[in-house]
This record gives sequence, structure tokens and C-alpha cells, in this order.
Amino acid sequence: MPTPKLKNVSRFLFVAIVTVPVVSGMVYAALYSLGIIGILNTEISSKAWQTVFFGKPFWSAIGFSLYISVVSMAISLAVALLISIKWQKNLRDGLLGTAIYFPLCFPGTVMAFFSFQMLSKSGFVSRLGFNMGWIEDLRVFPSWIHDAYGIGIIFTSVLLITPFFIILFSNLFKTENIASFQHLAKTFGASNRQILWKVTLPILLKRASVTIYLFTIFIMGSYEVPLLLGRQDPQMISVAIIQKIQRFNLNDIPQGYAMSILYVLLILSVVILLFFRNKNFFKTSAV
Amino acid sequence: MMARKILQSIFIASIGLPLAFLLLLSFGRRWPYPEIFPKELSLAAWGFLDNSNMISTFFLSLGISFSVALFVTLSAFFISKHIAYSKKRNTFMVLAYIPYLLSPVVMAVIFQYYFILVQLTGTTLGVIIAQFLIAFPFGVIIYLNFWNENLKSIEELSKTLGGNAFQTFVKVLYPLSKNAILLCFFQVFLISWFEYGLTNLIGSGKIKTLTVQVFNFVNEANIFYASFACCLLVIPPMLLMYLNKRFIFFAEKSE
Amino acid sequence: MKKIVSLFILCLAMLACGEKEKKEVRDTSKLSWEEIEQEAHGKTVTMIMWTGDSKINSYMKNYIVPKVKKELDINLEITNGQGSAIVQLLMTEMQANKEKSDVDMLWINGETFYQLRQIDGLFGPWTSTVPNSKYIDFENPFIGTDFQQPIAGYEMPWGNVQMALIYDSAKVENPPKTRAELLEFVKSKPGTFTFDNSFTGLTFLKALLIDIAGNKEELMGDFNEEKYEKYSAQLWDYIRELKPYLWRKGEVFPESVAQMHQLFASGELLFTMSNNDAEVDSKTAEGLFPPTAKAYVPDFGTIQNSHYLGITKLSGVKAAAMVVANTMVSFEAQLEKMKPSVWGDGTVLNMEKLSENERNQFENIPSRKQAPNRNEIQDKALMELAPEYMIRLSEDFRKEIILK
Repeated sequence: MPTPKLKNVSRFLFVAIVTVPVVSGMVYAALYSLGIIGILNTEISSKAWQTVFFGKPFWSAIGFSLYISVVSMAISLAVALLISIKWQKNLRDGLLGTAIYFPLCFPGTVMAFFSFQMLSKSGFVSRLGFNMGWIEDLRVFPSWIHDAYGIGIIFTSVLLITPFFIILFSNLFKTENIASFQHLAKTFGASNRQILWKVTLPILLKRASVTIYLFTIFIMGSYEVPLLLGRQDPQMISVAIIQKIQRFNLNDIPQGYAMSILYVLLILSVVILLFFRNKNFFKTSAV
Repeated sequence: MMARKILQSIFIASIGLPLAFLLLLSFGRRWPYPEIFPKELSLAAWGFLDNSNMISTFFLSLGISFSVALFVTLSAFFISKHIAYSKKRNTFMVLAYIPYLLSPVVMAVIFQYYFILVQLTGTTLGVIIAQFLIAFPFGVIIYLNFWNENLKSIEELSKTLGGNAFQTFVKVLYPLSKNAILLCFFQVFLISWFEYGLTNLIGSGKIKTLTVQVFNFVNEANIFYASFACCLLVIPPMLLMYLNKRFIFFAEKSE
Repeated sequence: MKKIVSLFILCLAMLACGEKEKKEVRDTSKLSWEEIEQEAHGKTVTMIMWTGDSKINSYMKNYIVPKVKKELDINLEITNGQGSAIVQLLMTEMQANKEKSDVDMLWINGETFYQLRQIDGLFGPWTSTVPNSKYIDFENPFIGTDFQQPIAGYEMPWGNVQMALIYDSAKVENPPKTRAELLEFVKSKPGTFTFDNSFTGLTFLKALLIDIAGNKEELMGDFNEEKYEKYSAQLWDYIRELKPYLWRKGEVFPESVAQMHQLFASGELLFTMSNNDAEVDSKTAEGLFPPTAKAYVPDFGTIQNSHYLGITKLSGVKAAAMVVANTMVSFEAQLEKMKPSVWGDGTVLNMEKLSENERNQFENIPSRKQAPNRNEIQDKALMELAPEYMIRLSEDFRKEIILK
């Protein structure tokens, strides 16, 4: 048994490492956003907070981030479920079983760069289209990068997370013994359709639900991908915060910090909400 | 059956597409529209490998990621045990998830001030510490599932039979936890290897890791060099993964 | 819980300490140049600059860096950053009472200079200490004044350029010369014209603003809110009229000039623009632009300005930074920099003060091919406006155009 002292030191260290950066950062951001510190801040004021809270930019950035992450997640899940269920056997071994791991080696930065070179108006797809005679001029090629609907960002996010979910589902197939449930359902006379909708999907989605929530939050906070592929408006939240802090007008910096506090609080409340809804929620999160 | 085979082949090919495309571009020189492939091929970008700068960038990245992975793997291993066996395990978990879920670059802007205060910005050590702070909760989360009742009783059994702490670790814990340790190490390595926003901010742009370099090339619209840097970034983890695909799989904090 | 609270208090205490007294900075300006050179020996200088152009980067990396290493044994390191990102970094450093800044030299002008002066982040005055400054053409208002502000020894002129529009003469025969012609042209060829969302685009907007104001003198001097309101309203009306015919219907603008150049190179745009009148030559030589690319200055004129080198107040190696600056404004470095094949950046040296031999070398630089003759566009050169104009234009451009 570890000595009680070691136990307490460990727990203390843990709490310190995970909370101090966030809490101290929040303190700094709060003081700055209220004009208490900051070289150009002359007086204590809640102006930055009012601007952020009642203004459009912060909420539209949150909304846009949510939209991007939910859509990316939905597409990824659909594709991943389709592939992992249909090709379940092939995924376990062979070339496919190995190949599917490779996309996980691609960071957001590289994938975003790749998407840009593929999908922009002068990108690879457009060149193919031109040479095939599908488009007469690159200007008629649709806008997929820096576009209003975040198509480029969604495309890239889907590329990044789909392989992960394919692997996750195909592992769950094994560990949850889904094949035997399917078999059981079949002996009771369930149709293939019923098996899919009443057995396979519910088990997979339920077991993966924590991961799904977590990934949705990650995508919301992504920075490199929207930085390279997004446009000036609407912006995703990380990009919007950094821009407020580092763009032309120095008087906007307090607003940037106010935005970052709101964002942290938002994530915090989601985590706590998930936790209270089901206290064992995080217990099973690791796969 | 045939259709499935064909579909699968297409799918596998499409997995290889990004790397093939980036490799091709990294050998390119002029690529005017509407040429499908670069008009001229050149070794210019790969000539960078001769250049000491790029080599040192590569090893700097390697060094940073290796250190972060090592520290996280070790510290999280021992600390997570006491978290896992605590009655308040769930509360601790919630705490761990907060920094884990926040966008690293937003974390960086809010704690940049403290790093400046202790003179850590613009230093490799500062970048390592900052990355450690975002990767540590993740490491703990990986291990938490590994510490279970079953393991606890095996460990206690070893002690009852007279094994000391060191023996228990070497003979019992380590063999059982090897996979979790490797997984944690590799995953944290990747987080660090791929990190841009936080590294750039805390490093004041002076700590030029490979990912930072990719962004610099993209900024100067130098797609051929950017492709080359992308290849350097992607190939090492691919090799590692090829050696052992178990390394890579976990609910990781990708992008 | 107690522990968390105490940690929290610790953090607050750290924060409070950071606000206190500032340390005395060593006064380098009292040393003689020999002493400065001696002090500079073997030091490492970090310079932060916009690294969005491969030619410029290569000039720094392959010419200046080896030169200062060889001649002065100084390690010059280049990092990427511009505008407010620099100001924000220095501001946070000052707030944290950092002893030595992470950054020693800066490539700046205009509104960054203004903001850095505002937060007292620049070291100075220092430029007169530097020997090569005696060759610099400080008398020239386009060099000695930066966005209507006297440089007062706080930044060293490094290069001087005039904005030019770039077009492909094979595709456009008569490029628009006036605002009315531009509107007409853009309407007739929708989707082929835009400007970027960064410095270059804002500089273009300033030229339009001056044109709207009626004469070059109208907006000179300090920022005038009334005039700004009046003329900017007209400017936004004009841009809104253009907007539906701009690239991507004006819903999005290129994020950087490099991106705009790419769009021009691929043929997506018929025009790009550059803050450097000679850039068209270097980009064509590089193979990015078609050989038929040409640069010109429209009749309404374009901004001519200079860019400068600054030293941070918290730099730990001010002497070395001054020595590097001295090299960067030396005859050889300025000559090299002006070659179209290298960078094509205009010199800040006064030809009158150079020896005949040196003058000849400047005159013998391979002549401009596609770029306009510098003397011919000088008449159309507009002075930079006070920095607040740029800051306001940037903000209002977002509000009035991007978000609408």
C-alpha cells in the first residue's frame, strides 16, 4: 500500500497541474478584461464585457463552431458506421486493417494544407475539372475554401476524425461482442434492418457516446484548420479570440480576454452538466 | 463481393492520397493552372535536408516531443494510480477533462503572462512545460482505465508475498502496464509533435518546431517547401505506427 | 480545497509583483561606437519581422545573416510576427516586468511604430549613434516621417517603396486609371479584382480615401475625426458599389498579399497589388507571375512609405542590434536589397552623399523590366496618413464591408 503521504502528494500534484494553469489564466484574463491590469487600460470598466456579451461576434463564433463540429461529427459518424459495419471482417486484419490507422498520423495543420491544395479554386480538383472539360474557367469552380458554410473546415475535420471512429467502432464490435447479439436477434427472427437499427447501432452509439461528445467539443475549439481554411466572417471561436488579442486595435484586447473567459466557462459548464447527468459518465470514456 | 473488393481498394488508395500528393508537391517547382502536376520537378525542397537548419528543426521537435512524452508518461503513471483508487475519482476526472477539452491556443493566451513572468517564453524549456500542462491531464485519463480492482488485488498479492515496491513494479505492474505506457507515450508524443498555436505563442516564434515551420512556409505561400515540411512531420509517426499500430489508438486529442 | 485557495493566492501575488517597479535599462547611447561594436561581439540578436515573402526571407537568411555573422560575429535569428502581435507580445512582457525581451529588433512602420511609442516599448533615440545613418536621406519627407510622425531617432529607415497595382498585360489592355474606371472595369469583369484584408489592402484603401478627399493635403497632419467620418462614409459607399463585382462577391477577402499573389498567378484574379513598386520584377523572375505581368500606378496615386528598424526597450543586446542595423543600412546591403532579382526594395540612402563609384553602382542596377520607372511614379506618390486612419479603416472595413 502506498503511504498516505505519497497518496496526498500525488493528488495534490494532480490538482495543481490541472487547475493552476486554467485558474491562474482565468484570473489574468479577468483582471485584464476588467481593465484592472494592462498597460493601455486606464480605468476599471465592464465595457469589454458588455460589448462581448451583448454583441454578435462572440455568439456567432460559438454558433459557427458548434455548427462546424456537429456537422463534421454527423458526417464522420455516418461514414464510420457504414464502413465499420459493412467491412467489419476486413477491418480486423489485412491491408485495410493496417491502412485505416495511417490517417491518424496526420495533424490538423497538414490535413488543412492538403484540403486547401485539393479544393481551392486553383486546386487539384479544379485542375482535373478543367482538363476534363467540366469547367471552362477556374472562377466557376465552387467556393469550398474560405467559404461561408465552412465546407473546407468540415471536409478537413471529417478526414481527421472519421478513421478514428472507424477503428473505435470496429474495436467495439469485438469487445462488445456485437456479433453474438446479432446472431441472437436473428434466431428470434429479426430482419437485417431491425438488427441494424435495434441492436447494432444502439450498442455502438451508446458505448461511443462519451467519445462523441468529447470530440464534438474538440472540434469546436480547433484552431489550425479554421486558421488556414476559414474566412473573416463567420469565424470559429479560437481564431476569433486570438484575432481580437492580436489584431490592429489594441483597445480590443480586453474583449479578447473576456471572450476567452466566456469560452472556458462554457466548456466548464458543459463538462459539469455531462457529469451531473450521469456521474459515471467519464469513467468509461477511455476506450 | 467483387464490388466490395473494388470499393475497398479505392478506399485504401484514398487513404494514401494525401501523402502521395504532398510528396509529389514537395518535389515540384512550378505549378501554373491548369497543369495537373507540377511542370518541373526539383529536389530543391529536399535539398533542405542538407541544410543544418532543417535538420536542427527536426531534432528540436523530436527532442521537445520526446521530453514531453517522457515526463507525462512517467508522472501520469504514478499520479493516476492515486487518482484511480480515490473515492473522489469522478470529481478528479472532471477536473482533468477541463484543460483536456480547452483549445490549447486559448489556454496559451491566458497563461502566456505567467510564462513571461518566470522568463520561460521563447525558451525550449518553456515550450516543454506548456505542452506538458496540456498533455498531462490526457495522460492521466489514458491510465485511469488501466488501474482497476483486479490490478489492485494483484499488486497487493505481490506485496503480501513479500515483494517490495520496486520488485512489485518491475515484476508485476510493468509487464501488465506495458501497453498502456506505450500508448500514453506515443499519444503524448503526437500531441506535442503536432502542436502549433500554443508552441508558437509560448515559444515567441523563436522555438521553431516542424509544425511552426509548416505554418511559416504556408504564410509565404511556398507550397513546395510547405509540402516538404508536411512530409517530414507525417512520416516519422507513420513509421512508428507501422512498427506497432497499438501505439496510436486511443480517444486522442486530435486537432 | 485549502491548497487550491493558497495556490490561487500565490498566483495573485505573482501577478501583483509583476506590476511593480521597472528595472533600469543600460544606457547604450552614451557609449562610443567602438565600445558599442565591442559590446556587440558574439551576441545573439532576435529580429521579428513579417516573413510572408520568400524573396525577402531569402535576402535576410542568405545575405544579412551570414554577413553579420562573418563581419561582426553576431548571430541574427529571424522570427515571424507583425503589427499588433508584436505590440501585444511586448506589452505583456513589459507588464510582466520581463528583464530581457525575447525580441531585440523589429521591422516596423506606421501604426505599429505609433502603438509601440504609445506603450513606450521602443528604445531610443539611437539612430544618430549609428555611423551609416549619415548617408540616410532623412530630409526626404517620405523617409524622415512615418505616417505623419517624426521618427525622432526611434527607428532607422531601411527601405522605401511605393504601392503599385499589378496586372497581366496579356489579359488586360487598358488598366483602370481612376476610381470611375476601376468601378467600370470591375463591373465588366466581375470576380477578377480584390484587395487583401491586411496591410496592402488597407494601404490601397487609404489611397482611395485621399482621392475621395479631393487633394493630397486634405488629410495631412493629425487624425481628424470629422474628416474621417465624412470621407470614409463615401469610401464605404464606393466599396459597397464595387462589392458584388469583387472576387468571391466581396464576401471574403484574401487574408494576405501572398495569397492574393497566388490567386493572380493562377489566373483567378486579373489584378494583384504590392506595397513595393518593384516586386513585379522579382515575382516574375521567380516564375510565379507570367512574363506579361506589369505594374503601374493609377492616376489617383498610391501611397509611398518607408519601413524601418526598431529596437525594443527591453532588449538585452541593444548594442548588437544597433550594429546589425548599421550593417543593414550600409551601402552594400542596400545595393543588394535593391536588385530586382533579390528583393527590389528602394534604398533610403541619399545618392548625393554617396561616392561617385557607389552612386554609379546604384544606377547600374539591372533596370526594371515590368515595374514602372521610379521617377515617373514619384508625382503620383501620396504621403502616409496618421496611423489612426489605418486603425480605423481596418476596424470599419470589418464592420462596414465584411460583416455586411
